[in-house]
Amino acid sequence: MLALGGVCVFSFSEVVLQQLINGLILGSFYALVALGYSMVYGIIKLLNFAHGDIYMIGAFACLSVFGVISKEIPGLAGIGLSIAAAMVLAGIIGYLVQRVAYRPMLEAPRLSLLITAIGVSLVIYNTVMLMTNGQPLFFFSGIDNSAGFSFGNIRITYVQIFMLALSATTMLALSFFISRTMMGKAMRAIALDQDACRLMGINVNKIIGSTFIIGSMLAAIAGGMACVYYGNVQYNMGYTIGIKAFTSAVIGGIGSMPGAMLGGLLLGLLEAIGTQVMTSMGMSGSAWKDVFAFGILIVMLILRPNGLMGKTDVERM
Amino acid sequence: MQYFTKIRQLLDNKFATRAILAALCVIMALLPLFLNNYVLNVLWNAFFYMLLAMGLNIIVGYCGLCDLGYAAKFAIGAYTTGILIKTYHWNFWLTLPASLAVSIIAALLIGGPTLKLRSDYLAIVTLGFAEIVRITARNSNITGSATGISAIPRPSFFGIRLVKPNHWYYVFLVLVIIFIIISGRIRNSRVGRALAFIREDEDAAQAMGVNTTSYKLLAYTIGAAMGGITGSFYAVKMTSISPSSFDFTQSVNILLAVILGGMGKIPGVIVGAAFFAIFPELFRDIPVIGDMRMLFFGILLIAVMLNRPQGLWPDKLGSEPGGLPGDINTVGRR
Amino acid sequence: MALMHVDDLTMRFSGITAIERLTLDVQEGSITSLIGPNGAGKTSVFNCITGFYKATSGDIVFDGQSLINLKPYQITYRGIIRTFQNVRLFKNMTVLENVLSGTHSVSKQSIFGALARHSAARLEEKAVLESAEYFLEYTGIYNKRHELARNLSYGDQRRTEWARALASQPKLLLLDEPAAGLNRGEKDSLIELIRKLRSDFSITVFLIEHDMDLVMKVSEKVIVVNFGVKIAEGTPNQVQTNPQVIEAYLGSEEEEDEDGFIS
Repeated sequence: MLALGGVCVFSFSEVVLQQLINGLILGSFYALVALGYSMVYGIIKLLNFAHGDIYMIGAFACLSVFGVISKEIPGLAGIGLSIAAAMVLAGIIGYLVQRVAYRPMLEAPRLSLLITAIGVSLVIYNTVMLMTNGQPLFFFSGIDNSAGFSFGNIRITYVQIFMLALSATTMLALSFFISRTMMGKAMRAIALDQDACRLMGINVNKIIGSTFIIGSMLAAIAGGMACVYYGNVQYNMGYTIGIKAFTSAVIGGIGSMPGAMLGGLLLGLLEAIGTQVMTSMGMSGSAWKDVFAFGILIVMLILRPNGLMGKTDVERM
Repeated sequence: MQYFTKIRQLLDNKFATRAILAALCVIMALLPLFLNNYVLNVLWNAFFYMLLAMGLNIIVGYCGLCDLGYAAKFAIGAYTTGILIKTYHWNFWLTLPASLAVSIIAALLIGGPTLKLRSDYLAIVTLGFAEIVRITARNSNITGSATGISAIPRPSFFGIRLVKPNHWYYVFLVLVIIFIIISGRIRNSRVGRALAFIREDEDAAQAMGVNTTSYKLLAYTIGAAMGGITGSFYAVKMTSISPSSFDFTQSVNILLAVILGGMGKIPGVIVGAAFFAIFPELFRDIPVIGDMRMLFFGILLIAVMLNRPQGLWPDKLGSEPGGLPGDINTVGRR
Repeated sequence: MALMHVDDLTMRFSGITAIERLTLDVQEGSITSLIGPNGAGKTSVFNCITGFYKATSGDIVFDGQSLINLKPYQITYRGIIRTFQNVRLFKNMTVLENVLSGTHSVSKQSIFGALARHSAARLEEKAVLESAEYFLEYTGIYNKRHELARNLSYGDQRRTEWARALASQPKLLLLDEPAAGLNRGEKDSLIELIRKLRSDFSITVFLIEHDMDLVMKVSEKVIVVNFGVKIAEGTPNQVQTNPQVIEAYLGSEEEEDEDGFIS
């Protein structure tokens, strides 16, 4: 997964630094997807199982759109436009999922809602699998993925810089949106007390719908980035990242936006370093890296269930 | 729905229920005399799913906890038995208590810390744990890596080596009956009611004196133990096990069987499991439908949740705890 | 003798002080009321007593033992049971099953008993069923025992909740606004019921109520809180004439009650 191929003799600090950079990239994927999880969980207490699949749809949409427009608009501009188109599509699908499957269930027990989400995930996952015959599709960006700067043995590619910039901009914009705009405030208010919001005249359904749209758009950005970074997309790409993004959200404190960002970056870093450590111990780092991530999730839930930035909730009736 | 009502009325009558159950047992016991090995194997597979579904039903149906990694529970049982037989040359029957113990310890380790938290965290923790189990099995030498453990010898039972399909048919039929009895006894007891109170309203259950954390852990452990035992029998029946038998799809299949059949209702869960085992066989030769299976299940799942969250099995007319006969005349239908 | 003694209890959450240095006694065998305007912290007091909220400081002593740091279920085992402001039944279960939940804390059967069904387990099962049926009859809901709780009328749901609470054979019964949503006649029979069960089962009753009429008729002692602070305490007569209470509470609340708006 990570560009570890062709590792020669590195000095220790260079290895660490390189892994930090790789971890940061990985972390920004997790963070973008984790934000969607956290927003939805914060607002309707749903573990939106289908969120990883929305990410996958975003990746496919980006790939398809770029395939059509890349002749006229090549390069970064084309990729940017494709990601924008993917955001629109993912937003629509996210909204529809919410409207059709989740909204009628808001008063139902949490377990039923969770199971519905698993159903939605199955539907999206299998639809895409049937449409692509289970085969991966390849993404030719026309950009040299290896072009970039070198500092000694450390390498930062232009694509990496582009992605870091894109995710940082997105997260800044989201922070602004949540803290400053009316709708952002309404979202936070609904997370606290839905009934009170209804009484105050807030259109709760509309805000919940918007939350899904925004969360899905963020996932689509991550999906588009995955196209460029990995060069291929497959129907099952959302499954693992779904769990890892959830882990990120939990690490940061579920429901907390800055927490999701921090959690994503942390998990990315931990995973990159963990892989490196395991490889140096003679184990297959890439095979065990998921174990590492899920282990962190379990340990985190045991030691600090409210996350790094989550509030301790008052137990109330 | 009128059709359902009639079945239900029949089932609510204690005498009729017993007569039907007795007849069913006789029919099931005699079936192998008339069926070929292929059909017996399909039925065996149905029994196998029933066992898993009943185990998961304790967790999901009775207690309302969401376990997305049930495959790991039976993987633990299967691997414990597989390793003890192949590497340490244990007798199969002696591996059963070991498998039980390992399953229970694993359940306590995972459930203990997480069940104190919000219940929906359990979903993701069980999922993560299942992945850890699968990846560990795929990458460790003792579990035979990706190829798994093969050529596990078949056990003997009072001198009979269990090799024929009808042997396994009977072994699993007996297990199914045992699991039904266990499930029924738990359901109609103080413990079963406590689990149901937790499922319905955790805070109110706690206010009534139910130690919700330990009862959730109890349900989780019983479910895991049932899965572990099933896994042990699976290992010797199949004679080979590999990580691919325990993936996420398997966990989802079992969960779907429990939910579609009707959470908490034993007959519903059994019918649900049979449906999941037999459905792929029916469409085996039609590839397109075979591939669309999971899509179809997903749609079915959403539809059931939206319209009939209590599952497809009909409700009781006048339900009564304690396994007492229901009164046919009290028509308290929803 | 005080069955329960709340000592210097303070409860804060997210910057709000719900209860401030509250001290009160509930005498054994008494009917005591806790009143105060909306948001005065009454339900918070109940939640602290029953262990659903963690008190910031102070102590609650019941039957000679502190309840601080006990879990709600442990407190139920000590003999305190509550009803909820908006009836909280197990909606998808039958009335009988709901009442059986009350017997949980007074029965012992474990998973082994459930699986083995030995004679002790069967005897206990029979005993709890009889006890549940007794309380179903006591509250007059026996005929509806097989109906699902959610299909009941509001009044019957209340009755079920009472039967459920009584089935746990409590020493102290906490009633959170028992008269909410009842009409005049039902309120009168509620007063009867509270008095009757105290004499029948020697239960101590501690209740939160908005309905002044009911509080003044039924209670022997009234404690008034406002903004989490106790402002008066005494017999109904003493409290009614207390100028502080009138200012804080009676003046504004009475009108609301007459309009029939009950939260």
